[in-house]
Amino acid sequence: MAPAETSTEVSAGAGRPPRIRWARARETSANQLFLVPVALVFVVLLVVPLTQTFYWSFTDFTGYSAEVKFVGLSNYGKVLTDPSMLAGLGFTLAFTIGSAVLITVVAIPLAVVLNKKFFARNFVRSVFFFPAIPSIAILGLVWGYILSPLGSGVLNSVLESLFHAGPYPWLSDATLARVSVIVVAVWGGAGWHAMLYLAYLQSIPSDYYEVATIDGASARQQFFHITLPLLTPAIVISNFLLMTGGLKVYDLPYTLTKGGPGFATYTITQSIITSGVAQGRYGLASALAVLFTIAVGIVAVAQLWVSRRIERRVL
Amino acid sequence: MIGLACLVGVPLYYIVVNTVKTQEEMARSPLALPTKLFLDNYQRVFETVPLGRSFLNTLILTVASILAMLFVGSTAAYAMAMRASRFNRFFGALLLLGFIVPGQSTLIPLYRMLVDAELVDTLRGLVVIYTGGSIFVYFLIQGYISRLPFEIIEAARIDGAGPFQIYWRIVLPLIRPILATVGVFQTMWIWNDFITPSVFLSSPEKQTLVMQVYRSVGEFSTDWPGFMTMSVIVLIPMVVFFILTQRHIVNGLLAGSVKS
Repeated sequence: MAPAETSTEVSAGAGRPPRIRWARARETSANQLFLVPVALVFVVLLVVPLTQTFYWSFTDFTGYSAEVKFVGLSNYGKVLTDPSMLAGLGFTLAFTIGSAVLITVVAIPLAVVLNKKFFARNFVRSVFFFPAIPSIAILGLVWGYILSPLGSGVLNSVLESLFHAGPYPWLSDATLARVSVIVVAVWGGAGWHAMLYLAYLQSIPSDYYEVATIDGASARQQFFHITLPLLTPAIVISNFLLMTGGLKVYDLPYTLTKGGPGFATYTITQSIITSGVAQGRYGLASALAVLFTIAVGIVAVAQLWVSRRIERRVL
Repeated sequence: MIGLACLVGVPLYYIVVNTVKTQEEMARSPLALPTKLFLDNYQRVFETVPLGRSFLNTLILTVASILAMLFVGSTAAYAMAMRASRFNRFFGALLLLGFIVPGQSTLIPLYRMLVDAELVDTLRGLVVIYTGGSIFVYFLIQGYISRLPFEIIEAARIDGAGPFQIYWRIVLPLIRPILATVGVFQTMWIWNDFITPSVFLSSPEKQTLVMQVYRSVGEFSTDWPGFMTMSVIVLIPMVVFFILTQRHIVNGLLAGSVKS
């Protein structure tokens, strides 16, 4: 719709009778009225709070005292030395990279298989996609019961009755807890991302595979030389979604382990909420939020840049 | 392949089938079908947890937020499509910020804002927060509108229709498909959201379904079938919703991922 508009714009002012010009002006301002709601949302829910976060990050604001002192960059210094915040930073990064890599490695072969014809294909697809439907928080709570470190936990009691092994401290040992959170995230996300890959797989012409088969390429060769290169745009999109989603992660670790044991599965978001809303350490929480925004911003801009380049190369 | 699907599906089957068994039967044969339909678990859950109230809260919250988002997003996309002035294009680019900035970075100021406006711990306040999602809605609608034939609107304009008439009578009906897709997509977000209600709601009688499950975990700490039953009950609306809107969800997921 956009191009037609510029032409009326230009012709609106010049060389028309004043009556029409006035009618045009009224129409234009009526049109601009439609931007008022979104401008309100943008200013009230984004610009103002973002500015506040930025401002607080340089102050010692606690939420109660009327007197607010500028403290320069000291909040930023504290963020990078505070053990709980560093723990949150560390696990968030480990979670982001770990889940992104594992989901990609699982989802691509899964999509290739789901793309083949077999008995009850639609049902099987639904089963894999299912974890994307309910709330991640509820899945976290259910998995909390399954992985309960007590002997009565579902997995532990199954292992006990089958192999007389355990009980294993799935969620109470730091390393096991970290691994458990990532594994549950892969369980929950692989099907969703496989659907994304599936959409791209379906657009690959089947001639490519027919020609390759005639030329004597093995299934393995076809996968690495046809499927994988043609999936590059999907891999980029899926991984950027996983990265931004991973950096923002909160629901799953919080409902599964509450960030514990200790700070083993603490996340950036949990840090911001705990120190900002619960403890009133606004300056500190805001400094962390600013750093976090910059990190997410870099990933988002990189995504735009990389996907534009890929589009250009593919077309 | 089907074996792998079972590996993913068995936990789900296990959960559902054991909600209609007695604790004793569950221990004896956890994977068998129930010999007799046992509904005490369901009765007990409904007696201890106010699920009806939470369901209503979630429903009101979701419907109100979706309507607000669709209104803000569609009016903005309409204005941008009608007039591509330099200012509007600049503003459109500025809105991209709403895409990039994560919710966590505005959470604390927003919390204080709601406290000041006495909207914290109310469903109305939560609707205000969710309206922030309109920027995402705007981008999806805008992409759709830009592919519509502009002649329809030109014709209406020549026939003397004003901007409000064009928006209401012509553009809104034309963009129904994308409104449905975005609506479904955002419904899944709000219905399943954990972080926003956990920060902004505290009264027990105002909780959403997800929060209600979270808060009841303690009560069912030793009552595994009770907890499973509650989860199954809470999942039912979402599963029904999914079955009814499957096409839109897949479209929305793809549109959302490609756009963002």
